[in-house]
Formats: sequence, structure tokens, C-alpha cells
Amino acid sequence: MDIIRIENVTKSFAKHVALDNVSLSIPEGSIYGLLGPNGAGKTTLLRIINRITAPDNGSVIFEGREITADDVYRIGYMPEERGLYKKMKVGEQAIFFARLKGMSRKEATDKLKGWFEKFGIESWWNRNVSELSKGMAQKVQFIATVLHEPKLLIFDEPFSGFDPINANLLKSEILTLRDKGATIIFSTHNMSSVEEVCDHITLIDKSRNILSGNVEEIRHRHGANIFEIDYRGEEVDLRKAIEGRCEIMDSTPSPVGFNKMKLHIATDSEVRGVIAAANGSVEIRSFREIIPSMNDIFIRAVNGNL
Amino acid sequence: MKSKIGIIIGREFNERVRKKSFIITTLLTPFLMLGMMFAPMLITIYSESDLKQIAVVDDSKIIAQALQNNKEVEFIATPLPIEIARTEYSDYFAVLHIGSDIMENHNNVQLYTNGSTSIALEQNITTQIEMVLQNEKLKKHNIENLPQILADIESNVSIQSYKNAPEKSGEEAESSSSVVATVLAYVLSFMLYMFLLIYGVMVMQSVIEEKNNRVLEVMVSSVRPFEMMMGKILGVASVAVLQIAIWIALIGSVAYFVMPMVLPDEIVAALAMMKEGGAAAMQGAGEIGILQAIMMLSNMEYIATILASLLIFMVGGFLLYAAMYAAIGSSVDSPQDAQQLQTPITIPIIVSLFVMISVINDPTSDLAFWFSMIPLTSPIVMMARIPYEIPAWEIAVSAVILYASFLLVVWGAAKIYRVGILMHGKKPNLKELWRWMKY
Repeated sequence: MDIIRIENVTKSFAKHVALDNVSLSIPEGSIYGLLGPNGAGKTTLLRIINRITAPDNGSVIFEGREITADDVYRIGYMPEERGLYKKMKVGEQAIFFARLKGMSRKEATDKLKGWFEKFGIESWWNRNVSELSKGMAQKVQFIATVLHEPKLLIFDEPFSGFDPINANLLKSEILTLRDKGATIIFSTHNMSSVEEVCDHITLIDKSRNILSGNVEEIRHRHGANIFEIDYRGEEVDLRKAIEGRCEIMDSTPSPVGFNKMKLHIATDSEVRGVIAAANGSVEIRSFREIIPSMNDIFIRAVNGNL
Repeated sequence: MKSKIGIIIGREFNERVRKKSFIITTLLTPFLMLGMMFAPMLITIYSESDLKQIAVVDDSKIIAQALQNNKEVEFIATPLPIEIARTEYSDYFAVLHIGSDIMENHNNVQLYTNGSTSIALEQNITTQIEMVLQNEKLKKHNIENLPQILADIESNVSIQSYKNAPEKSGEEAESSSSVVATVLAYVLSFMLYMFLLIYGVMVMQSVIEEKNNRVLEVMVSSVRPFEMMMGKILGVASVAVLQIAIWIALIGSVAYFVMPMVLPDEIVAALAMMKEGGAAAMQGAGEIGILQAIMMLSNMEYIATILASLLIFMVGGFLLYAAMYAAIGSSVDSPQDAQQLQTPITIPIIVSLFVMISVINDPTSDLAFWFSMIPLTSPIVMMARIPYEIPAWEIAVSAVILYASFLLVVWGAAKIYRVGILMHGKKPNLKELWRWMKY
């Protein structure tokens, strides 16, 4: 079931169209990546899901019905720019945000103690936010976002500004939250994080949804019939054997190990022929399809080459 | 969605009230204010200013013996000619030279000062000389019993004014002092002026700060922008009301317990007499002005009206201005950018201050009436009129207009606020703000 469906959402500001007829569905329990270059409209879309901004046209369906004001209690949002009151004590501030999300003071305090212990930051409770480093403040912000155990969590560029250790901590927390049943949407332009954690993505470029779906499926769908052979033997023999059956994109001889050759095979039916021919001329160690990284797909999609 | 205004008001209130700067200014300001109000009074009561000695060279021989000394000036006649006297008495405050033909040529008077002179001193001298000359001229008419006649015609007048309430007899009539009303009008309207500016700008700056550190974006995902704005405005308002209440309590208790100790004994005695004997007892007392003032200030009904109106107009004016300041704060990224947009708000505040000065001269003029009805100027101008005991219906109408226009302004301000808090990097102009209102 889809927890969120965006249907034909359009939003424009004074002279600029931020979202142009965007539709997408986010399956419940997924980790959903919203990708796109800067200025593509990701943040606007996240704000619309959060009801911060209203769409000009189209609708947001939350659990099968039009989203209402009360639904924000079940959404947690961490904006790209972290926002905390600098001169407020950490604990008090987290309680304040939790109460705004509908929790009682007592409930918020109890849950916060648990999170502070988990992150080993109990001693921060009475410190001013201005005394914390940027990474520390981000941890506090993360806790404030997830404290009310929302069904849907929205992170805008969650990994920007985190050091690798804290980024990993954040990643594993996100996976834990998903395992507990939350759905997570995050926007990013950091592709490696997408491959590691996302199971679904949407690629937004120039205000439009240009690519949507399951990550594995997309990578295979956009596999570009590129193969790599590792072999022992003469390069010239191999070239002669497979000539005409495929296009040789790249060849790297190696003085010690196996030579490598990259091929583009236009049709699937040709693959067996190429393997047979190659096998007759050199000693094949491996033959495999190269699945493009999300990074390649992202760049090719944005450049219009998909 | 349950209203979150309460939670936001609570945060605003707690954060501000706990600040050291709040506690310090709240406790110190009344003493500064009292000091500023009463210091001049106490100084004149207790201080003996330096005695100024003036040597008098009187060539006409009629003026010098008639000059009267007082607390400030002592005239010392000298037979020396003026040229010598000027060098001889260079350690005196001044040397006064009166020409021999003073009866005919009234301008033949010179004052050689060794320091700086003052208008009051010169007036003292000319008045005294004029009196002597008048007496001398009267003598020339050979009127019989002149000294008795002069003593007889000399009269001093002082007014006791009462509020005209025919149902009360003369004895019970409330005395009213226009001096007190004027001082109150100044103090109250000035207080309101400071209050609107300081607290209004405080709201604006705190919105800008929240916008800059992006707290607003976190909050806006769980609170409606209107609630955020109202929560902030009401939070700051409650801090302000608390502060004013503390001030009134402090000033009140100081006035009640400390003033009797500081005031000179004869005034305290006369006051006690007045409280027992009512207005009639005043006749004999010397310093009627001060007594009347103190009587008026101890009139509870009068003070209660003023305090109630102060609360109504201070809160109403603050809400109105704070809504506009919040809208401006939401639309800019830094206080510098806010300068230009603030101008349309600052102008009515400054206009009210100018109108206030003319209102104090004539609190019932058309100008005073209309400016105390127009919502942007009414808080300050109304507070300048209320001490003069204007009709209650005027206060009521003005208050209703003020609160109605607050509702209208807050509606527009909320629309600007809603758009403004998510806009970064661009400095909008008034035209754009107008367009945001119609989004």
C-alpha cells in the first residue's frame, strides 16, 4: 500500500514553475529517495507533503485519503537547514518541539531521556544549543524529528554536513526506523547514499518527475548492454575473434594479471555468440554485465540520454 | 488540529523573563524614572544655590537702597565710581551700574558680569528697577497716604480648580490639578511611545532571528504560521504587561512608603490637615499646587481609570504594531534590510508624538479628538488625553476602533508572514508585500 500519493501536483512562484505536474507514489515501509540537481523542486515537494506550502493544483493522498492538518502529527520533518533556538537549553528545546507535535511534556521527557542515552549525550541536556558543534546540533535535531514516532519521516539532505562516522550512525538509525515500520523519504544529491539505503527513487529535474521506481529495477532497466571480459591471452586474437559481433569500447592490457576489455553488445541474442567466439581465442576468467551506478543514471537522465 | 498558541506563548514568555537583562531592566527602570521625575523637585526644595553678590554703583541715588536681596542674590551698594568698582569687585558675581538719569532714560542700566548671567537674574533686576521707578513716579503725583494705598492694592492670586460635578457639594468636590494632568499626559504617552517602538522592534528582531536560524521551517511543519505569529506577539505582550505591572507596583509602593519620608515636614503636615478637613483646609496652606497634585494622585478612581486605559491602549497598540513588525521581520533576512520597510510604521508613531505635544495644550481640540480615533496614532494620543478626564465614550470608541483594526491588520500580516518566512535571499519591497497578501 502507498502511504503517500502525489497526484498531478503543480506549484509555481512568481515567475518560476517549481513543480510541473508531478505524480509519484511512496510505498509504505520503504526508504524513498528524492533525487535531483539543486533547484529541481525537491524541497518544494517535501514542503507540500508537510503542508508547509499548498500546491496550486493536484493533491496529496495520505493513507488513501486527502491529507489533513492532523496528519502532521504523524509526520516528522528535518529541513535541509537545521533550525534550533541557539539560546535555549537542549532538553527544553526538544520538549518544546515534541509538544508542538502533540506530545505531553511528561511523555516527551521520558522518550527524550531514552534517545539521549542511546546517543550518549545525556550531559547535553542543560547546555545551550549555541555551545554545541554543528554535528552535535544535528543529532539533537534528528532526535527532535523522530521523537514523536511518526509513521512518515521526511529528511531534506540528511547527510550534508555530517562526518562519515555520524553519517553512518544516521544511516543505521534510518534503517532501524524503517524496520520498526516507518516510511522514510529523503532528498539528496549524494548518489552513493541512495544505492546503500534507498529501495525506491524518484528523479526530479527541471520541476518534472523524469524517472521513478525501484532502485534495482531501474538499474537493470537502464543497464546499457555493457560487458567486461577478464582474460589471459593475446589482445589481437580476441579482437579478431569478436570483430563484427560487438563494439570494443575499451581495452586495458595488464602485464601481471588478467587483461580487461569492455564491450558494447547491441542485442541480448548476440551475447552468447560473443562469449563463444572469445572462448575460442583466449582464456576467459570472467564475463559480466556492468550495471550502471545510480550516479551514471542520474547524470545521463539529467542530460536527456536515457 | 489543537491550537499550539499556548505552547508558543509559554516559550516566548519563559525565554524572555528568565534573561538577566529582563530582571535588571525591570528592577532598575522604575528607580531611574522616579529619580528623573523627582530629582529636580527635590533639588529645588533642598538645594541652596550659591549666593550671588552684586556690587551696585547707583549714580541716581534712588535705586540701590530699594533693591531687595533674596536667596540667590545679594545687592551691595558701593560709593566707588563705576570704573574703579569694576576692577575693585572683580571677585563679585557682577557689578551693576545705574545711570544718574535713570528716571528719564530707563535704558541707562549696565550689568558687568564676571561669569555668565541668566535670564532669571536679569529679570529679577529689571523688575525691581521697574518697581522702584513706578513708585518714584507715583510719588511725584503727590497722592495722600500713598504707602497705604500701595499696600492695599497689592494682591496675590492662586487658583484652586475642581472637577465640575454639581451633585457634589463644594467641600467634597474633587480637586484637579492641570499640572498633574500635564505631567501624566507626557509621561504616559512617552511611555507608550517607547513601549511600542522597543517591544515592536523586539518582535521583529526575534522573527528575523528565527527565520535566519531556520527554526521557523521546523516549526511550520507542526504549527500554522498564524499561530506562530500570534504566539510570538502574545508572548512578548505578556512579558511587557508583567514588566509594566512590576513597575507600577514598585513605583506605587515607593510613592506610598518612601515619599512621606522625603517630603519636607510642612507639606506632610498640610496634607494631613487637608485629608481631614477636605478642600476647605487648603485655603490657608502655602503650597497649594503641590498639595493639589498629591490629592489628585491619591484619588483612587482617577488612578484606576488611567491604569485601566493604559493597559487597554498599551496592549491594543502593541498588538497592532507588533503584527506589522512581525510581517516585516518575516519578509527580510537581516535587520538592515528591514530599515526601509519599517519607515511606514515608524511615521505614525512619530506623528503621534508631535500631535501629543499639541494635545497637551488643548486636550479637547478637533485635532486631538481625531488623532485619538485613528488607530495607528490613537494609543499615544489617547494616553495624552486621558489624564484630562475626557468623556468615557470617546475612550470606548477609540478602543473599539483600535482592536477592530488590529484584527484586520493581523489578518493581512499573517498572509505576508506565511509567505515571508520561507523566502530567503531576496529583499522584497512594499509592492511585493502587498502581492503576498493576496496569494
